[in-house]
Amino acid sequence: MIEVRGLTKQYGAVRAVDDLTFDVRPGKVTGFLGPNGAGKSTTMRMVLGLDRPTSGSALVAGRPFARLAEPLRTAGALLDAQAVHPGRSGRDHLRVAARANGIPLRRVEEVVDQVGLGPAARRRVKGYSLGMRQRLGIATALLGDPAVLLFDEPMNGLDLDGVRWIRRLVRELADEGRTVLLSSHLMSEMEQTADHLVIIGRGRLIADASMAEVMRGESARRQVQVRTPSPDELAGALLRRQLRVHPTDVGDLLVEGASPETVGDVALEVGVAVHRLAEVHNSLEQIYLDLTGDSVQYRVAAEPEPAGQVRP
Amino acid sequence: MSAAVLAPRMDRPGTASVFGRAAGAEWVRLRTVRTTWACLLAATVVVVGLGAIAAADEAEGTATAANPIVSTFAGEYGVLLGQFGLLVLALLAVTQEYASGSIGPTLQWTPRRGVLLAARAAVPTVVATVVGVLLALVADVVALLIDPELTLPLGDAAAGLARIAAVLAAGSLLAVGVGLLLRSTAAGLATVFLLQLVLPFLMQSFNVEWLADLAQWLPGTGAVRTLLREPDSLSAGGALALLACWSAAALAAGGWRLLRRDAG
Repeated sequence: MIEVRGLTKQYGAVRAVDDLTFDVRPGKVTGFLGPNGAGKSTTMRMVLGLDRPTSGSALVAGRPFARLAEPLRTAGALLDAQAVHPGRSGRDHLRVAARANGIPLRRVEEVVDQVGLGPAARRRVKGYSLGMRQRLGIATALLGDPAVLLFDEPMNGLDLDGVRWIRRLVRELADEGRTVLLSSHLMSEMEQTADHLVIIGRGRLIADASMAEVMRGESARRQVQVRTPSPDELAGALLRRQLRVHPTDVGDLLVEGASPETVGDVALEVGVAVHRLAEVHNSLEQIYLDLTGDSVQYRVAAEPEPAGQVRP
Repeated sequence: MSAAVLAPRMDRPGTASVFGRAAGAEWVRLRTVRTTWACLLAATVVVVGLGAIAAADEAEGTATAANPIVSTFAGEYGVLLGQFGLLVLALLAVTQEYASGSIGPTLQWTPRRGVLLAARAAVPTVVATVVGVLLALVADVVALLIDPELTLPLGDAAAGLARIAAVLAAGSLLAVGVGLLLRSTAAGLATVFLLQLVLPFLMQSFNVEWLADLAQWLPGTGAVRTLLREPDSLSAGGALALLACWSAAALAAGGWRLLRRDAG
């Protein structure tokens, strides 16, 4: 369990984290989402006592992390896979961690095997790929068999196998009853991984809801895009059935809250040809973009609105 | 992985135990990087090599069987120059962590920063001091072997090594403090070299009185005075006090940055 209460971090004039309050509960994978620069890493660093909050507090397993005598037995974290002394071997890196927390050295060999680092563990970190460094960082996080795990962008730079491995790993860890906080700026990574979402933008909390709740909100906004040579006729028929219809800029119709079946049936009834009929996939990515849209710090100007964005 | 890979702990380890582990971790950190061994090699070559040569040179013609010269100045000369290998070791133990970002993981493993400060100051200082004293002893003995007209009475040897230990301990603590304060290898090296070696000599060489007076207050002056027992303008106790004050000030400043500021 991680409890974040009113956490705030001010860097000069910039408020990187602004009065964040949320809980990360055990037995679930909690996705910590936000655009780059939203304050995810700063929040995690404050939870781990690395950076001092301007105000507010964070508790890990009921205590401030910085007071823990054996922190790795309570919480393990991978914040920055590159933050390892390049001249030390992966195994020696783990040995230092084990020594500092009174963890038996056999655990070092166990986690090396668990993350699949294998014989590379004897080599110096200097020669590691980013993927190997991520694995080493995860091995370090798992070393103390902790109840709480924090991973900051762990899939960053991994190949598909690596991403799948992380997904399986965090699922297992959560199923064992552990608290797992997993940050990412990519919604698509979360779609298949997280049970719960904490979404932030510009340091502020935007959403704190289960994945199911977020998806339910999405299905209420389902849209169907239809292309027909007689748009006026079809639009009239749809409007008579109390459906909301908008023209798109490519001349198609966008029907809100309807399924493709409904729209197809209506077209058949009024005898209108249909050249294209598709559900507009408002993916989680889209919801995320909608939610964080105002809070994206570095936005490309004059980005054309995708068709699915058209609103009355 | 089952949820009970490690036996749960009922009792929380006390501060002494946490310090012991942090110090153990510092020791593993120190011995698992090559730079440490490179520094020790450099120190060995300089302390033993230069020390023995200097001693033999000094003894040439002046020492006789009737009037033997004590060989402890082999170690003293050697350490005067060779201390930098050991101070660099202590400095790098701190600043490498900021260069690589590994201070982040370090503070995740030992988040109690006061304990980390104590371990981080103690371990490199003990290593540098013990190694330096041993190397000085070797230099003394080597000088003795090179020139049989030198002598090494036990009392003189012990006193000489004690003074060397004081200089190295103070210098290492200074290096650790400077490293924690500046968090940069380049800036730390420049600062330690300037304070300990360059400025004390340079400022006296200008023949400007106030510069020379100021040089009297630098740690390098105290180190030279303690090692070589000259010049007499500074008493032995005064030199030790000067060294202690510089180490304390550097540790206080570096400790403040470690304890009070973001990890970095």
